Amino acid sequence: MKIDLEKLKGIVGQDNIKNDIADLYVYGSDSSVHNALASVVVRPTTIEQVQAIVRYANAELIPVVARGSGSGMSGQAVPIDGGIVLDFKNMNRIIEIRPADMLCKVEAGLVDDDLNRALKPYGLFYPPLPASSRVATIGGEIANNASGIRSVKYGATRDSVLGMKVVLANGDLVNLGSNTKVEASGYQIDRLMVGSEGTLGIIVEATLLLKPIPKFRCIGRASFDKLEDAGEAISEIIASGASPSMLELMDNIAITAVNTTLNMGLPDVEAIVMFEADGKVKEAVDAEINFMKEICEKHSGSDIETSYDLKERTKLFAGRKKLFAALSRYKEGLSCTSLADDMAVPYSKMAECASKIHEIAKRNNVVMTAYGHCGSGCMHTKILMDPTKKEQWEGAKRAVDEVYDYVRSVGGTTSAEHGIGLSKAPAWKKEKADSLAIIKAIKKALDPNNILNPHKIQDAPDDWITATKLRYPVE
Amino acid sequence: METKNIKSWNDELNVCIRCAYCFEGCPVFKVTGWETDTARGKIILAYGMLTGDLEPSQYIADKLFQCTYCRDCSERCSANVPVVDVLAAARADIVEAGFASDTHKGMAKNVKATGNIFGDKEIKAPVQQGEIPVYIGCQYLARPNQTKMYLKILEKLGVKPLVKDEICCGYPLYALGFRKELAEHKKKFLEIFPEKEIVALCPTCAAYIHEEYGKDVKHITQSILEHLPEKNLGLKATYHDPCDLSRVMGITEEPREILKKLGIEIVEMPKNRKTSHCCGGGGGILMSDVNLSDDIAILRIKQAIETGAPLLITPCPTCEQVLKKAATVVNEKGNGTIQVKNLSDIVWKALRS
Repeated sequence: MKIDLEKLKGIVGQDNIKNDIADLYVYGSDSSVHNALASVVVRPTTIEQVQAIVRYANAELIPVVARGSGSGMSGQAVPIDGGIVLDFKNMNRIIEIRPADMLCKVEAGLVDDDLNRALKPYGLFYPPLPASSRVATIGGEIANNASGIRSVKYGATRDSVLGMKVVLANGDLVNLGSNTKVEASGYQIDRLMVGSEGTLGIIVEATLLLKPIPKFRCIGRASFDKLEDAGEAISEIIASGASPSMLELMDNIAITAVNTTLNMGLPDVEAIVMFEADGKVKEAVDAEINFMKEICEKHSGSDIETSYDLKERTKLFAGRKKLFAALSRYKEGLSCTSLADDMAVPYSKMAECASKIHEIAKRNNVVMTAYGHCGSGCMHTKILMDPTKKEQWEGAKRAVDEVYDYVRSVGGTTSAEHGIGLSKAPAWKKEKADSLAIIKAIKKALDPNNILNPHKIQDAPDDWITATKLRYPVE
Repeated sequence: METKNIKSWNDELNVCIRCAYCFEGCPVFKVTGWETDTARGKIILAYGMLTGDLEPSQYIADKLFQCTYCRDCSERCSANVPVVDVLAAARADIVEAGFASDTHKGMAKNVKATGNIFGDKEIKAPVQQGEIPVYIGCQYLARPNQTKMYLKILEKLGVKPLVKDEICCGYPLYALGFRKELAEHKKKFLEIFPEKEIVALCPTCAAYIHEEYGKDVKHITQSILEHLPEKNLGLKATYHDPCDLSRVMGITEEPREILKKLGIEIVEMPKNRKTSHCCGGGGGILMSDVNLSDDIAILRIKQAIETGAPLLITPCPTCEQVLKKAATVVNEKGNGTIQVKNLSDIVWKALRS
């Protein structure tokens, strides 16, 4: 692949291009197990520059991979075919905040937390709140339809995006969506772009729906001796019409991980459920919390604690917040890999799903935990293994297959919020088998030369282990 | 390339989940905006050299040395990876591969020849008899008036400092990757300071002596606070936490208590204590990339100016130096004014009043 660096320098300037092997190596990685080499990293600062780069790439059939902070867990931003990595970190302006319309317009490279800091004085916030909001960019969140602990009440990114500006594969700029909360019929291409992982167009600007910051927030935590009881409590909370702003599950492996590595002192039970309510009126929040508390009690939940106090809330949630770190330190020699890390199942299957994950892990000689934003049906896990051992990868591959076989068997879906990219693509393709032809036709229509993040999602290799070089040195 | 130092951190390289949380507060990344300049970027470079995916190069060496060792990344790391230790190992390997800069080599030679980083035989500790071993450190030794002031402060507060004919603590050799030289140097240091308990003036020396030699190190602010009487200077100031003092030693409240005892109203910058923004002076970049250091310092001084306080106080000589320079630059551009002072100036002024 021959790339005219002078041409690119002419577009973005010399200071916004990197092509040393060291930079290409760094930009070939994200938070997944994958690693590939970009050909050049280009940092545009204007929409016009993005258009010019994409036009050039399209004419020369050069792959273009858009990149926010590279915090994705499935290899979405890994340049599997090389080409141009478009680094959006310099397109990070807030264009306008319109409190009266409950919306804002921002550039794609803006970091989520930076936006929320700017919105705070207006009493507003942008709700998706993925765990990575401190570094995740709005463009990356849209491209992956990110969500987080509050998605049970406020929805995923798709529910908070009103519109966007997108550079198409031929370099044209289109305005998609609207400035309104509702938009009736007609193909809503903006919705298609959300979660398309940079394969259909390059999102350069977004119009986002905002929410008022709730005046009161109360968190509760309940312990369950049996995982199934926790699962039933979660299912009933959702089915009862309660409106939690957070509903989280941690299994015993997760509890053990935070207790042993961080000395958190969580109760040694099969499961912990954390629930939260927020709102403008305290009595209403009280009522929601008490309602959820009663349901937990009904299902044998014990040691239930609730608090409005920020310090206490932080303490009650600390185990969940530190879980990621704890899993990384679960046992010497084991690494926390982003595999089978994300799925969604119907509410009634949450506990069963957690049990299945444990069963599968044992069978395949890896360690797997189960936790997640159960209020939105989202279950997370990680595979803890020695990544230098070939047999561990073989076990991990079987485990991933078995997890997603189960998820499909109960009507669940491959990814709740971490995206498909490369490592979940084989499972996703099985899930979407009967619509793959339509999906491929859409891709062909919007990107006929297949330059936009090629060989991802529906076009990704069937074996994620050999899709790219693994980031770990396997013996 | 031999990677014996990086190899010892192999497990930590696997533990890093590449989540990018280290981007959030990285002062170098705040200036350059390139991922290669973040902790994750540098960890990936170390990994590449370990696996053989990357051959060592001057470019990689430059990248590895573009770090202030401020440990903001370690503080935010979701997997608790000791980033600075891994990076120091990578620096050591690339130095052994022949990629040390002339400036850094010069500094290592200076330490060997004169016992201090400046290579100046005239820079000597003001040796005196006393009861409590006090370690001055190269940066304060090069500022004899401030050293004298700190010693006088201790004496006025009833502490009898024992000052020896000291040599560099060895931190620059560690930070800049001169492991062989460091091993030799450490022996000499321990011959001079066999004591378990030391009071150190410089935050970086304090942190290093504590971590590397396992000594019970008190920072001078802790000693001052124990004996300081209340005064009322009636000033308003912001306090800059030196990274080694706050993030490594966990000393964030003692300097603030001193200021409060002296009747100084503290206006905090949003990034304070363990989330303090680096001044840009650490990790050797002051020598290898002064422009980058200046740019980081300007970011910090702007944060200080935004507090509206007329004065910034810090107990670190390096922070003081780079922030003073930044304040001058910002002031000359008409972007605000703030005075930068060492804590010693303030305490001494109060004790004399």
